[in-house]
Amino acid sequence: MSASLRPEPIVRLDRATKVFRTGGPPTTAVNGVSFEAFPGEVLLLLGPSGSGKSTLLSLAAGLSRPTSGFVHLWGKRLDAFTPRELQRLRAEKVGLVFQTFWLVDALTVRENVEVVLRFRGCRRAERKARTRLLLEGMKVGHLADRFPPRLSQGEKQRVAVARAVANGAELLIADEPTGSLETSQGLDIIRLLHAQAKDRGSAVLVASHDLRLTEYADRTLHLVDGSVVRDENRAGSLLAGSLI
Amino acid sequence: MVRYALRVLRGQPLRLVLTVGGVSLCVVLMFFLLAVYRGAAEGSVDYIRQNPADLWVLQKNASNILRGSSLVSSAQGELLSRLPGVRTVASVLFLLQTVRRGEEARTVFLAGYEPDKGLGGPPRLAAGRHVRSDDEIVLDRSFARKLGLGLGRELDLQGHRLVVVGISRGTNAFVIQYAFVTLRLARSLIGFPGLTTCFLLLLDEGADPVRLQETIRDRCPGLEVYDQATFLGNNVREMKSGFLPLLYTVAAIGVVVLTAILSLLLSVNILERRRDFAILKTLGSPARLLWGMVVHQALWMASASSLVALGIFFPLLRVVERISPEVSAKSSPCQVVGVILAVGLMSLLSALVSTRRLRRIYHWESLP
Repeated sequence: MSASLRPEPIVRLDRATKVFRTGGPPTTAVNGVSFEAFPGEVLLLLGPSGSGKSTLLSLAAGLSRPTSGFVHLWGKRLDAFTPRELQRLRAEKVGLVFQTFWLVDALTVRENVEVVLRFRGCRRAERKARTRLLLEGMKVGHLADRFPPRLSQGEKQRVAVARAVANGAELLIADEPTGSLETSQGLDIIRLLHAQAKDRGSAVLVASHDLRLTEYADRTLHLVDGSVVRDENRAGSLLAGSLI
Repeated sequence: MVRYALRVLRGQPLRLVLTVGGVSLCVVLMFFLLAVYRGAAEGSVDYIRQNPADLWVLQKNASNILRGSSLVSSAQGELLSRLPGVRTVASVLFLLQTVRRGEEARTVFLAGYEPDKGLGGPPRLAAGRHVRSDDEIVLDRSFARKLGLGLGRELDLQGHRLVVVGISRGTNAFVIQYAFVTLRLARSLIGFPGLTTCFLLLLDEGADPVRLQETIRDRCPGLEVYDQATFLGNNVREMKSGFLPLLYTVAAIGVVVLTAILSLLLSVNILERRRDFAILKTLGSPARLLWGMVVHQALWMASASSLVALGIFFPLLRVVERISPEVSAKSSPCQVVGVILAVGLMSLLSALVSTRRLRRIYHWESLP
């Protein structure tokens, strides 16, 4: 995609730094990271445990604010959003997938998906129809009335993806989505996320330590100790000025 | 969210049972207090409400018969009877007296009346008839039941052997019960044959009661006169002033306990399920949806507790009335609905108290 035709980025981090102060010495989880995520793009944050991937994702999702630097969501600075606007943003435009799925155990599979449609104010009939389609699309339609503790890991993650895309997310954020899965299940999930970017035009941010995922990423940021040490595109070429 | 609430509650069955039990007992307490209040309220003033008198005449400054003393001379009755527009004047003498049956002694609120005048006697008879002679007595139904007295049985009143000839209803004032004898016998008990508590007046058709009241006040400066509605209101007010503070205090304790139990359960459930709330917050749940989850739990608890309380209350009432017949409890659908609505409101208040905890659940709790 040429620069002139490129749409506005959904997420833009500009020298974002996040420092945690929890009584002991301050910990810099993210250190001056900048990147943009565009519609239809799969952006992979690759790095070992503790490299700041999850913190970056929480910044990109508007779940936390940078200590310094800026985060822009849909062109608006994060600190310009009210808490209610951020809540609505997450309900209507952001989908989240976690390594440990974070399904609500007291809700059935169907209800876990339906609930995010309620956040958007969808009517009951629409919720039911859309949930059925999503679950069937993720090949877990037959599990709709089961509770999460009775699902396999792979099934749980499929339900989590269905939930994440239920609101038609323009920004899909996945934190170690394959971390708890067997290889084949993990690849299934990453293909689903990839399809979401390519077919629906969502921007997909994936944090992982799994090198195999680079195959599905349009751009990969290699993180070490909260800093980007390498920024490469799909072809493996380093982007100008990206090597720290 | 209704289903979520139910599942969360069912997830801890013992806690659910204990909470429903505790709240139910509070609800039963409220049902019971209101029923006792209504029974006592009716029993206290039914005598006046059912009385056909147009005017009540008492000693100056006496406004009621429940907690006031009035002593007037029977000679004033003669004066009243001569006033134009007055058809009947009946004297009634109220006394606190002890009746005995064997070794057992009980206090009654004795009303001495003139049976031939048709005023001042028992408001309703459950069995038997009015007194006709000085050796007869009509007892309140619960009092008779407590003492095991039926029609034809005898009891002792200051050495007088009296036969029970009637059983009255609407004469149980909770702390004391009415009994009815002739005016002559009542006067003989105090030894002052010329004394009476009040006069009950029936007026001629077309007589102006307001004008007659003014006339009585003018001509009999030592007397006070009330129309039926005012006198009933005076007695109701008096009864309430003695009873309602106690009722309100105990009911308030019940409400506080109920609210505390519910708040505690809801808070524990929120803390146990804080992961669920954190996930939902992270996913963008509006606050009202999370509050709704708590409110649904509260309303389920209130509904279940109210049902259990209804199941307990009516059988319990029968047991209490059997053990202690003077406890005259009367429940009405309005009371039941009112209490259930109040419980619903208390449950909403509990939910409101508990949902404050939701503010201290943060979305990053769901993050790795």
